[in-house]
Amino acid sequence: MEYKTISDGKLVSLYQEGDQKAFEELLRRYKSRTYTTIYLIVKDSYTAEDLLQETFIKAIQTIKNGRYNEEGKFLPWILRIAHNIAIDFFRKEKRYPTIILEDGSPVFNHLDFSEESFESVQIRNEVFSRLRTMVQQLPETQREVLLMRHYGDMSFQEIADSTGVSINTALGRMRYALINLRKQMSKYNIQYDKNFYPK
Amino acid sequence: MIKTSTPNDIIRYVYNETSLDENYFIEQSLIEDDSLQRIYQDLISLQTKLDKAILNPSDAVIKKILIYSKSFNNVGL
Repeated sequence: MEYKTISDGKLVSLYQEGDQKAFEELLRRYKSRTYTTIYLIVKDSYTAEDLLQETFIKAIQTIKNGRYNEEGKFLPWILRIAHNIAIDFFRKEKRYPTIILEDGSPVFNHLDFSEESFESVQIRNEVFSRLRTMVQQLPETQREVLLMRHYGDMSFQEIADSTGVSINTALGRMRYALINLRKQMSKYNIQYDKNFYPK
Repeated sequence: MIKTSTPNDIIRYVYNETSLDENYFIEQSLIEDDSLQRIYQDLISLQTKLDKAILNPSDAVIKKILIYSKSFNNVGL
C-alpha cells in the first residue's frame, strides 16, 4: 500500500484497525510542524522533544480508545494538543523556575536546507534562529494565532472558534504579530526577500 | 460607493481564505494602496521565512514514539 497518497482521515482509521505503518506516515507528515510549534512556546529543544512525545502519546491513546473525532482535521487537532501541553508546561515552569539552557542541542535539530555553502548556511541559521526567538517573544495570543494559522493550517474562523474570540479579533492578533515581528526584524536588520524588496 | 480592502482582508487573501469576488477588489486595492501592498509583502516574506525556520526533532524521540505506538497497537489488538 502506498501510504504517502492516503488522506489523514484514512490513515487514522487504518491505525485504529492496527496498521502501524499508517501511524508512521502521520508522524512523518507532522512531526516537524508539531515540534516547531512546541519549541516556539517552550524555548528549549530538550523540553520540546519531551512534550512532542507527550503530544503523540496523547494522540495515540485518543485514537486507540476511539475518541478521535473523524470530522476534524488531523493537523489542527494534533497541534491543538501540542499547544495546550506546551502552554501548561510553560505556565508551570514560570511558577517553578528551573535552570534551562539557553539553547538546546544543535546536533539533532537542524533546518531543512538544500545544498549551500557553509557560510550561507551559517547566515541562514542565524536569521532563522533570530526569527524563532522573535516568535517566542510575541504575546501569547498573537503567537497562538500565528502558529495555528501557519503551522496548524487552521483557518482564521477555526482559530476564532477554538479560542473563543471573533474572527476579527483573530485577524487583529495576526496583524499585531506581523507588526511586532516587523519591528523586531528592523531592529536586528533582518533583510526582507530581495524579490519583494529590490535594491 | 467604492469598495476598499482592509489589512484583515489582505491577511485572509495571503492565506487563501477569500472568495474570487473578494480577490478582484483586493488585487485592485493592492495596486492602488502602498500601505496594503507593504502588508502584503511583509506577509509573503514572513510566510517564506516561517516555512524555512521549521525544525526537525531528533531520530531518538521519533523512535520512542514509534515504540510506544507499536506497543499500544499490540495491546489494543
